[in-house]
Amino acid sequence: MPQFSVSASSKSNCCPLWLIWVLLGLSAVHTHAKDVLGVPQQVSLSPDRFSRQLSISWLGGAATTFDLMILRTELNESVFYETLSVNPVSGQHLWNWTSAEPLECTSLSIKVRSRDGHMTSEWSNTQILRGNDLPSNDKCQVYPLDRVVPVGANTTFCCIVEEGKVFDDLFYSGAVMNTTRLSRRTYAGTVVNQGPSSSSGTNVVCYNSLRAKEPCGTVVFVGYPPLLSDFVCETHDLISAVCHWTEARDTMLYGKRRSSYSLNKRDCLQRGQKHKVCTVDHWEGNWTLVAVNFLGQYSLNDSAEILNRVHLVAPTKVSSVVNAWNATVLWQWKYRSYSSLRLVCQVELTCNGTKTNLTVSGVGLQSVVLSDLYPEEDYSVQVRCGAQLNFWKWGNWSEPFTFKTDTYVPEAPDVWIWMNRDNTGRIVWKPLTRRQSHGQITGYEFTLWSAEENVQHTQIFSPGTTAAPINLTQIAAFSSDKIIATIIAKNVKGSSQPASVVVPLRLTEPIALSRAVYTERGFPMTWQSDANATCGHVVEWIDAVCTRDCSVEWIKVAAGQTNVSVVSANFQPGVRYIFSLYSCSSEGRELLQRQQGYVQELVPSSSVLLSTSQQNSDVLLSWGEIPLLNRRGFLLGYNVYNSTGSELKLLVNLPDKGNRSYTVKGLSEGSHKFTVKAYTSAGEDTGATASITLELYADWLILEILTSLGITTLFLVIVSFICYKKRKWVKKAFYPDIPEPKLPGDWSRRQGPLDVKPSSHSIMHIVEKPEWDSSKEALVVIPEEDEDEEGQGMGDEPVDTDEPTSLSYYNQVVDERPIRPRFPDSSDSSASSLDSARTDVTYTGIQTSGSSLVFQLDSQASAEGHQPHADMSVNGGGGGDYRPQMQARAPSDDIALVSPEPFIEAASGGGYKPQSSWHLDSPVEGEESGGRAPSLGSPTSVASTQFLLPDGEEDTEERRQPSSSATTWFTNLLSSTKP
Amino acid sequence: MAEHQPEEQPPITELDAPGAGRSRTGRAAALARLLHHECTRLLQLYKERETFLLDHTPDSGRILSLSPDSEEPSSEETVQLLHAALRQCLGLLHCVILKEEEEWGELEGDYETMRTNVRARLEHLLHSTKSLAESESKPLEVTPDHQCNEEPDGAGGAFGLKMWTYRVLLELIHWADHAVQTLHILHTETTGAEET
Repeated sequence: MPQFSVSASSKSNCCPLWLIWVLLGLSAVHTHAKDVLGVPQQVSLSPDRFSRQLSISWLGGAATTFDLMILRTELNESVFYETLSVNPVSGQHLWNWTSAEPLECTSLSIKVRSRDGHMTSEWSNTQILRGNDLPSNDKCQVYPLDRVVPVGANTTFCCIVEEGKVFDDLFYSGAVMNTTRLSRRTYAGTVVNQGPSSSSGTNVVCYNSLRAKEPCGTVVFVGYPPLLSDFVCETHDLISAVCHWTEARDTMLYGKRRSSYSLNKRDCLQRGQKHKVCTVDHWEGNWTLVAVNFLGQYSLNDSAEILNRVHLVAPTKVSSVVNAWNATVLWQWKYRSYSSLRLVCQVELTCNGTKTNLTVSGVGLQSVVLSDLYPEEDYSVQVRCGAQLNFWKWGNWSEPFTFKTDTYVPEAPDVWIWMNRDNTGRIVWKPLTRRQSHGQITGYEFTLWSAEENVQHTQIFSPGTTAAPINLTQIAAFSSDKIIATIIAKNVKGSSQPASVVVPLRLTEPIALSRAVYTERGFPMTWQSDANATCGHVVEWIDAVCTRDCSVEWIKVAAGQTNVSVVSANFQPGVRYIFSLYSCSSEGRELLQRQQGYVQELVPSSSVLLSTSQQNSDVLLSWGEIPLLNRRGFLLGYNVYNSTGSELKLLVNLPDKGNRSYTVKGLSEGSHKFTVKAYTSAGEDTGATASITLELYADWLILEILTSLGITTLFLVIVSFICYKKRKWVKKAFYPDIPEPKLPGDWSRRQGPLDVKPSSHSIMHIVEKPEWDSSKEALVVIPEEDEDEEGQGMGDEPVDTDEPTSLSYYNQVVDERPIRPRFPDSSDSSASSLDSARTDVTYTGIQTSGSSLVFQLDSQASAEGHQPHADMSVNGGGGGDYRPQMQARAPSDDIALVSPEPFIEAASGGGYKPQSSWHLDSPVEGEESGGRAPSLGSPTSVASTQFLLPDGEEDTEERRQPSSSATTWFTNLLSSTKP
Repeated sequence: MAEHQPEEQPPITELDAPGAGRSRTGRAAALARLLHHECTRLLQLYKERETFLLDHTPDSGRILSLSPDSEEPSSEETVQLLHAALRQCLGLLHCVILKEEEEWGELEGDYETMRTNVRARLEHLLHSTKSLAESESKPLEVTPDHQCNEEPDGAGGAFGLKMWTYRVLLELIHWADHAVQTLHILHTETTGAEET
């Protein structure tokens, strides 16, 4: 309006008169409008609390545009305020408004005014829709009540708190809701996407601050509209219709909120939740099923001719007429209308858990003949039928009906004979099965008879017997060549046909065994057609381990058949079976084939018995055969392992199972372990292990030693022989005759103390004992300790410390050290040792003793006293006249040291001089030998033989005796060559 | 209130078992113990279905109350009063079953099975109390004493039915416990009199 006024004033300058007229006109128009926009009258409210819809009607005159305002009365909050275009109907304007909250939650104030453009009338009188939160209704309440909503819906609930109480929480299915306050006592909350409820709905509970007080609440049922499937109508009695369907989805609504059904607009009374069936008394051909619940409805249609939907009921009053081998089953129908209907029936016969179906057909069928039954058997039968023409579906099965067939005579037993090698055997027969016995077996009659002589011997056996022993020696009482054994089974109905087998009076010679291979169908056996096999063939098999009264199994093959696959439930893996094929004739049986095989080969269950033996540096492994029972397969060979280490090392594979030994060659000394494993096609056994410790080959060692000894002995013999043969040469070369010294005067007989003045450099000292007997000369050995002490006065003269110091007696072998070259001039002590005459001769080979080697005592020397040693040495070495050798004195030693040549000359020169002093040394001996000293004591030695100088004393002689025996022998040998 | 909480039930011994050669009072007391046990179990099952009741303690009063003719009723009068209360309980239970089946349908859960058992047990106990307290001058009935033609009190609707059912179940436990005590006292008095 102000804009309009401004516009009007802008034109007034042009034409004030026009402006006045315009203003007057506008004023008139405005006055007229005021008259048209009347205040709406008779505003009335019509609430639909279930749908939360409020219908507002009023009289608004000619106006078509209204402002509608809805406020929550208590809090004066605007809920709805809009300008509406409402056309009057019979002068009354009507507007429907749907509340988000239940209308019971709180009071609402509604007022309306007319509008024409920007002009509005005054507001009408406020109409109040009273809520349930008025103080007069002081109870706690929750709305909406028992609302049914679809799954996924959003629902607003409100709680009106009890008057005077304080609101606490509003729970939806146990969960707190977010609420807003609508009035002094009312709080509202909204649940979105609601899930399906349980059978008793979903609880919405409102609590005030004092929870001890009983809560208030409501229940909401969240579910689905109906959804159906498989709607079909059929007839049982050829008159009425039975329609059924299934719920494709559970509505989750139960009780008074469950779906209701109508069939062709007739209500269907439901007997329960699961059985959705509705029956119509007459076949109508077309049906419409409608399902309705609070959330919606669903309909299905079906149409069909009655003969196309015949669903027969189950036969009733089933009975039977029973024989041994067949029976007739009868039944009745509930509806007579079936009598003219061509039916097809299915008979299910059950016997021992095995079901057999039989289909028969006929008009109004009410019986069926069951053939091929077995006597004395329990049967159960059920029958169901359907319309043969326009077959719709099978009717219901009748109740199971049981009957038992009659008893009948038993079948003839399957009989066979097993013969041992000792003319004994057994007639065996297979126990009759239930199907074969045709009733309880009461016993077996066993007969041996001769057809030619018509002599028979009969025995009766109990029902559990399956074998009768026979003895050919007893059968020998029958003079006939053909004896027949017959078995007859008996039950209450009578005896079976006789089952016979010809007793073989002569043992069958075994024929070679071939290999039988097991296949999926068993052990296949084939043979040539034999016209003589009038009663076919028999394959028998036994455990190969069995040798006597074996548990034999057999299968009989009809004549004309030339193969069979042997199968038995008793076949065990790892067991060797022997199969024998016999041809059967009236004259008896004839063995045609023998085979052996395994159903499944296993590894041997035991190992070989392994033994080892040493052969020089080799080891011979030998083992025994695995018993047949434990082989569990055909042995293919043996594997020999060296199991000395942690792992088995294959030495050799012996594919020849007959070879049960193996020699392991080239083994070193020590412990060795060997494992031998037999193997079949299934693998190796666990193996047998044996250990052996290889020792040095003692025999060979002994042989070597003996050989060495023999060679040595032979060599010695040869040497001795040569020496003996060449003894003259030897004597001449090594032991020439020493001419007797020619002495002036007889001084050789003088006896007296030998005055020996030892050299100051000699280690030999003459000790004059106080008790010394002057009648005896004695040389006393001075221990080197003493020598050392005295040797202190020797100054710095060298001493051969290599010399042994343990010499105590003459002629005693003391130095066993390795021989090493000595040089006479090496030292004084060495010379002194030689001079001391107590040193053994240790030089190898023939050694010519120097004068200093022999302790010389002769009368001449004694008489001449102390001659200068140098002279003696020179003389001795120069090969001049023989003189008794004197103990070298120090000066001579010095000379010898300075000039060793005299020794060399003595050794190389031919002037060896016999030691005449020996006679003096051993006067008795010398006398006994006629003044000729024996070789003993000769300064000459051969090879390593050591000669010891003789001692005059008896005890010394005795002590040296053992060690000098060999020397004596050799000396004697040489001495014996003297003329 | 102690009824709505699961209570430790006295063990039902062989001697307490009905029909074990015991006296009528003993059998009735045993039946009452069995009824109390089953009522407690029924309430437990109901709370498992209506979980909002698990932490709720109603403070409303009894649905049923006894008004003895005399201040010190005799044993026979006490049993007659008990019989009358049990008839009311049976009527309430019948009404609960009727209304629940109408509201929720014929369900086959554990609660419904136990509800049927309690009804049968209560009928059995009514026959026992009738045989104990019936006289020629005052014949007793065993039919439910409740018409079940009233709307359950409270807020109405399904929620009102649930709250009312809850109260009825509490009432059953209360009167079953009352029956246990009354019949135990009667049995004690009877056996004491017989021994003397």
